[in-house]
Amino acid sequence: MTGCENIRESIGRWLDGELSPAESEAAREHVLACAGCAETRRQLEKIDTTLKSVLAAEAARVEFTPFWREVQSRVNRKRAWYADLLDWSRGLLAAPRVAWAVPTVIALLLGLFSLDSYWSGWRFGGSRNSFAAVDSIDAHGRSVALLRENETKTTVIWLYDDQEVEHETAEEASKSGPAF
Amino acid sequence: MELTDWELVQKCQAGETSAFQELVSRYHQKVFMVILGLLRHREDALEVAQETFFRAYRKINSFQGGSSFYTWIYRIAVNISIDAQRRQKRNPLDFRESMDGVLDAQNEVARDPFADVQDRELRENLVKAINDLTPEHKAVIVLRTIDGLSYKDIGEILGCSEGTVMSRLHYARKKLQDKLSAFL
Repeated sequence: MTGCENIRESIGRWLDGELSPAESEAAREHVLACAGCAETRRQLEKIDTTLKSVLAAEAARVEFTPFWREVQSRVNRKRAWYADLLDWSRGLLAAPRVAWAVPTVIALLLGLFSLDSYWSGWRFGGSRNSFAAVDSIDAHGRSVALLRENETKTTVIWLYDDQEVEHETAEEASKSGPAF
Repeated sequence: MELTDWELVQKCQAGETSAFQELVSRYHQKVFMVILGLLRHREDALEVAQETFFRAYRKINSFQGGSSFYTWIYRIAVNISIDAQRRQKRNPLDFRESMDGVLDAQNEVARDPFADVQDRELRENLVKAINDLTPEHKAVIVLRTIDGLSYKDIGEILGCSEGTVMSRLHYARKKLQDKLSAFL
């Protein structure tokens, strides 16, 4: 990067007073000598002062007495029980608390699922030797069946024609008469 | 001698409402500016600013002085503003009318007609350009501009690192500069 590119990358930090003294001095010297970077500085300062003046002028119209009166009336107003509950639950779900709660819950669940590896009597989620699922799904006129055996982790999938469905369809068609 | 913010907080924790009143008088305008910068709607900003101080009052006992009072109050203000933004999906015309009112009121005191027109254009376009930023970019630029807060303080308020503040500010300024180049 050239000197100008370097300075333009850090000119905001320089104006914000976030550069080291040596870096600040280098930026200051460059901006004094370079018209392009001086223009960048002027534009950034103009944006800052304009935004500040827009907001400050509006804030100056906010009078303290009515503002304070409204804050005070909120303080004195009796709050509904559910508003307090909502505040309390928000606090409970605040990020620092959730930060440790999430890994703790994951660790507990993992521990629970792996108990049977260490304790032979423990069964979680049913017997190990039973077939876990037999299901069928219609797939374009054919059916799919799944069988999963938990101990060996074997899954069997097969496709077959559903004869009953075909018979029912044929019977319904004959009852309803000829189609146009 | 004027009491520090922390001394006022301690008095407030001991039950002195007048100490909290003093804190509100010190910060209500700046808090309002931050919220107006984020929400762009005067009435909403006023409502959120009052709610900010109300919540601060309710939670004052949990404030232990680990950070400064102003970073704490700005954090509450930014969080409520972001919540309010999510809840209230206003018609863009409402914002436009509200900010037009703000800009009109400011132009009444301008003196030089040419500078007045130039300033008005810049202000209008600045408000639009700020609104096109994401809430995160809007928050860093508003916090930095209003109070000249350090990157560390801004990071504390927004819950992000100084490096993130730095890159967001750089990006936001670049965007504003690009959009406003014709008016600067």
